[in-house]
Amino acid sequence: MTTPAIPEGVKRCSTRKFAIWLAVVGAVLLWGVYAMFLVWYKGLNQTGMNDAYGFALWIWADLAVIALGGGAFFSGFLTYIIGKKELKNVINYAVIIGFICYSSALLILALDIGQPLRGWFIFWHANVHSMLTEVAFCLSCYFGVLTIEFIPVVLENPKLDRIPFLHHLSHNLHEVMAVFAATGVFLSFFHQGSLGGVAGVLYGRPFAFREGLLIWPWTFFLFTWSAAAVGPCFTVMVTWLTEKVTRKKLVKQEIFQLLGKISGWMLLTYMIAKIADTLYWAVVTAPSKGFALMDFYSNNPVYGIWILIAELVVCGLVPAFILISRKGRENNTMLITAMILAVIGVCINRWVMVLQVMAAPLLPFQEWYMYMPTWQEVATTILPVAYGIILISLAHRYLPVFPQEKELNPGN
Amino acid sequence: MKIDRRCFLSLVIGGAVGTTLTPVPWKLTDDIAIWTQNWPWTPTPEKGPSVYKKSVCTLCNGGCGINVRTVKGQAKTIAGQADYPVNRGSLCPMGISATQHLYGPSRIQSPMKRTGDRGQGKWEKISWAEAISTVSEKLAELRSRKKPHTVACIAESDRGTVPYLLQRFLTAYGSPNFIRTPSSFDAQEQALYLTQGKHGTIGYDLANAEFILSFGCALMDGWGTPGQMLSASADFKQKNKLVQVEPRLSDTAALASQWVAAKPGTEAALALGLAHVIVRDNLYNKDFVDNYAFGFEAWEDENGTVHQGYKSLLKQYPPKKVAGITGIDKGTIESLARKFSRAKHSVAICGRGSGMVPGGMDEALAVFALNALVGNINQPGGVTAIPEPDYWPEMQRDKTASNGMQQPRVDGAESDRFPNTRYLLNRVPEAINSAKDESPIQALLVAGGNPLYTMADTETAKKAFDKIPFIASFSTYMDETAQYADILLPNHHFLERYEDVPTPAGTPTRVIGLTRPVVETRHDTRHIGDTLINIAGSLGGFIENAFPWGNYEEFLKQTLAGQWDSLEKQGYWVDPEFMPPAWEEAFQTPSGKYEFYPSQRSNPSGKDADALPGFRQVELPGVQEKMPLTLMPYASARIAGGAVANPPFMTKTVDADVIRDGDVFVEINPKTAKEHDFSEGDAAVLKTPAGKARVRIHLFEGLMPGLVAMPVGLGHAAFSDYIAGKGANVNALLTDVTDPGSGLNAGWGSRASLVKA
Amino acid sequence: MTKQARHTKTKRYGMVIDLDRCTGCGACMVACYAENNVPFRKDESDKMLSLNWLRVFKVDNGKPFPDTEICYIPKPCMQCDGRHMEGHSPCVSVCPAVATDYDEPTGVVSQIYTRCFGCRYCMAACPYHARKFNWWDPVWPADMEKYLNPDVSARMRGVVEKCSFCYHRYQKARDSAYVEGRDEIAENEYQPACAEACPTRAITFGDLLNPEHEVYELSRSKKAFRLLEKLKTNPKVYYLTAKNWVRRKADNYLEGESPADRKPAHKAETASH
Repeated sequence: MTTPAIPEGVKRCSTRKFAIWLAVVGAVLLWGVYAMFLVWYKGLNQTGMNDAYGFALWIWADLAVIALGGGAFFSGFLTYIIGKKELKNVINYAVIIGFICYSSALLILALDIGQPLRGWFIFWHANVHSMLTEVAFCLSCYFGVLTIEFIPVVLENPKLDRIPFLHHLSHNLHEVMAVFAATGVFLSFFHQGSLGGVAGVLYGRPFAFREGLLIWPWTFFLFTWSAAAVGPCFTVMVTWLTEKVTRKKLVKQEIFQLLGKISGWMLLTYMIAKIADTLYWAVVTAPSKGFALMDFYSNNPVYGIWILIAELVVCGLVPAFILISRKGRENNTMLITAMILAVIGVCINRWVMVLQVMAAPLLPFQEWYMYMPTWQEVATTILPVAYGIILISLAHRYLPVFPQEKELNPGN
Repeated sequence: MKIDRRCFLSLVIGGAVGTTLTPVPWKLTDDIAIWTQNWPWTPTPEKGPSVYKKSVCTLCNGGCGINVRTVKGQAKTIAGQADYPVNRGSLCPMGISATQHLYGPSRIQSPMKRTGDRGQGKWEKISWAEAISTVSEKLAELRSRKKPHTVACIAESDRGTVPYLLQRFLTAYGSPNFIRTPSSFDAQEQALYLTQGKHGTIGYDLANAEFILSFGCALMDGWGTPGQMLSASADFKQKNKLVQVEPRLSDTAALASQWVAAKPGTEAALALGLAHVIVRDNLYNKDFVDNYAFGFEAWEDENGTVHQGYKSLLKQYPPKKVAGITGIDKGTIESLARKFSRAKHSVAICGRGSGMVPGGMDEALAVFALNALVGNINQPGGVTAIPEPDYWPEMQRDKTASNGMQQPRVDGAESDRFPNTRYLLNRVPEAINSAKDESPIQALLVAGGNPLYTMADTETAKKAFDKIPFIASFSTYMDETAQYADILLPNHHFLERYEDVPTPAGTPTRVIGLTRPVVETRHDTRHIGDTLINIAGSLGGFIENAFPWGNYEEFLKQTLAGQWDSLEKQGYWVDPEFMPPAWEEAFQTPSGKYEFYPSQRSNPSGKDADALPGFRQVELPGVQEKMPLTLMPYASARIAGGAVANPPFMTKTVDADVIRDGDVFVEINPKTAKEHDFSEGDAAVLKTPAGKARVRIHLFEGLMPGLVAMPVGLGHAAFSDYIAGKGANVNALLTDVTDPGSGLNAGWGSRASLVKA
Repeated sequence: MTKQARHTKTKRYGMVIDLDRCTGCGACMVACYAENNVPFRKDESDKMLSLNWLRVFKVDNGKPFPDTEICYIPKPCMQCDGRHMEGHSPCVSVCPAVATDYDEPTGVVSQIYTRCFGCRYCMAACPYHARKFNWWDPVWPADMEKYLNPDVSARMRGVVEKCSFCYHRYQKARDSAYVEGRDEIAENEYQPACAEACPTRAITFGDLLNPEHEVYELSRSKKAFRLLEKLKTNPKVYYLTAKNWVRRKADNYLEGESPADRKPAHKAETASH
């Protein structure tokens, strides 16, 4: 069935099926929206956070989605600046995923502050010394860039494209996209970095604190690097999932492999840096504050040394080695597994840098602080996922996201 | 005009862009932020100049001088009054947070009568006229039936004008049943009477003592006058002043230079063991013992019978034996005895915990004897008897009253059995519950205290109260007892009323403090003194004549006319003439001396061993096999254990391993925990012969194995929902254990068992 | 900066708490709540949800009965001078909206409730958990609003608050000194509520840079130490104890390290300029 709203030459499911799909995901979304309003109306007492856990699930979700959304800036960087033209086949999707990730991050940030109606004070009364200020500015600006990058994709909808003004606008935007991509890359380097800085500058928190370069702790660079490494993995992972759901090949395998290769090397270099950082922290930084490494990984029900091994080895070195080897990349299962592991790895890293920081006791007479999110927090964290799925579904249905789709699915 | 899509889009986008260019959204954003900064439901306190007012806190019997900051007539913050002779500026957390009770939801706001079942909490507001006439009619009716002696009155103190008015009222009315709530000073004051022959308040000069030997007194957690004790403690550690004897590492033990963890209930044995060493090694004050003491050596009475003396009694308590009883090693006993006798001003004090339970007379007498041995009586840093106030006007009473006053007291105090005991509230429940026909108390006036919370075995006390046909409460707060009353005649809050506070127990000087209104009366309450005058007036006759004053304030000023200037000006009056008398004239005992052998002590057996302070193990209720553990209550400065419950601020300070989610934690030693398979935080049921309670386990190395320590002051069922429902009331788990000669409650704990919940 | 502040010398207000005197009674906490309009809730047993500007911790030496010892450690805001003594306390540097600031003339770390938008980054940054969040709208039942101190504003839901060393008392003292034409305020003119209320006089408060103030000598005593000194937060709250085991509770030590090896606590001299 083809209506003028659907791009030419591609097959989409029936409206009925699509509506049911939307309704199911929409129900989850509504659950999240309900929780969101509860949080805004009743306040942050609706969460499982407390004075030991000023930062918790939401900040983790923020950090994680921004790291994963890093696919947009890094793919943009590769496509427009390095000139990997073949990546144009995923850049649309990367931008959409990035847009979803960043809009979700902003929404969660708006939830996560005690006085949302004064949230703009971060801009108006900005403290330039605060990493969070840097995050807020870069994040908002980059979200603007992503929106601009997203607009031409939207305008390619056949119906909209028929409007001459929009057609021209879209065309012109395409022309200057490299400029926006470059701006996005620049902003991304900073806000990904500042997010790393958020934890790294906490010199009162030995688990998080890192020495650094000038005003930036090492986590600043590690965060940017890891986002660049894992962002494309997430883009591929979502594309692969979309393919599974739509039961269609949408992007050529060699594109996946190319991204895999780039990610693999990025991941490997990141891992080397991360391991060096961890070693320096474990051997120099933490002991100078009276902590032995195992102090951070014992006497509590959750955080054992396993989490460090999981992050660095299982979800770090292992996927990196799979991705840099041709054999690993060419085996689709291996490729996707490696990418999923890499995504999990960066999520663990962000978790550790937020929640384990809060959990570890500082004064010797204190115990580990444990935290359990409430359903409201979980629902509002799932909300962006549902919103993402809906946006992706709509985009996939109505926009020519994948230039290779027609070629890969002939006879539709 | 036809609006096509393009036009519509342009309008929307153009409109949006246009609006952002106007100040409207920006102004709105700003206004919204300003609104969040001034949310109307977040209160803004009214500003004004500060006025400081001096008064005296009466939340407990401590009587600390306070300085209340008021702004626009409202009390704001409370601090200790720097020059007040009792507490010298120090104040406990309860006093500091008194404003919370003043303005809080626990207040009874007007006279009320019960409409539902007792304790159900259904009340109807009534007028003061109705309240007064209800009480007077009931009292008149009992009097007309020649039963004035079936009226009883409970108060927290028997000193000062308000307790005096209560006693005067009962005397004029015809009832001997004025009952003071129990405290460790019951035993100490009786010991004072038995050894020195004086009724009075006992004073300990802890500030000037060089060495304090405390037998389980929670000096830092509410014993005596909290403010005074805290103030005196500042140099305890620095000067190595304190030795604490108790089985739990309490806040006081922590401050001591030596913590002597004697088995609970063996304090008397330890005191006797120490005396043994002091006497054996001739370390006692010979001047005092030889010239001003009686019964140290064997003595002969007028019939020629030779009686055993204290000295020979001590032979039964050699350190080795005492070590066996107390669990303290011999060496410690020896060295402690030497330290005690060698320090310049040594004082031994008793009264377990915050002093809510009297304890046995043996213990009090044994500890008193230590002070006498070193001659530290009426000396700086020693023990002094402070005379009771005696500024009362004469009165006359009618025949009904005289007859009533001839009747024996309900509680058995001052009877042949307990001749030296003045008040025995602990025996009232049994007296009522065992009465064959109607309750010996037909009307109860609760004019202080909160017996249905503070009495041991609260359930049995409640059963007894059930049998009292008429209970009137004068409480300021809706406490457990008020909740169980039939009629409420609420007193003003202490920050709203006048009252005199004579020398608090433990204070070594003779002082009167003045509680006075620092804020206007907030509710339709009435001063208890005025209420009494009203009731007396309503009863008429001799009773009315006994209350010739227009109101309480007039009576107070008249009574304290000599001190009023000083009271008014500085908030207190210190007796300039009071000097502890010299030993020659200090003692009013039959022998005229300090009596090591208390010849007045009730001693039905006639044996010397029963008159002298010996060590007799208090038999705790329960069967050891079924209840292998021993429950001991402990006091905490952060939990008010008395009649008035914790204000929310104090509960806020209580740690999460004392109370959490409505459960109280009991402490046990990790060893005990291992034996009974408990770990930190486990829920358990604590059972004693008196009852059971849901508790949680906290492991504490500082508690003797085999014991279960539970904080006093939790588990309130009344006041407000900010106070009630937190943990369990330890008093409900304890049982009264009658001390043979005095009738006082010697039950310092209970056998108990802990099973997993 | 106000006119009179320019006349006065730089001060570094600090506190010395004698742990050998503290009995854990809680008067300081209660006095703080009353002075600073700290709200309360029906259940405050979750201490990480309980607004406490000052909390007194109970620690023990871990030895079995009867060799056990306990000690109470009152913990207000440490009013950190920061790593380089220039006021970049862990919290001040991270606040994105300048809602918390280091007051140069006094060294007090302030919190502007109406500026704070509740991101809680400062709480994540503070190693002492000195910062507390208003998870709920404050409620004063019955007439309890009446006792609120007019010198301190009540905080709305969703903002962070913390101990201010009763800065409003400093302002009052400074104002009355100004009215009387004095440049300096006396030691006893400015005392926070906790120090004033401590019934055992365990808390001493004053200017750490002023040799005439009691805290000057006390903070330089051999018995003095601070919490988590190794983090280089440079607190202005000092503690005194004669007990080594208590000092071990105040900072983290690797195997073989001992508090005795530590350099003397006091660093405030470097701040005098």
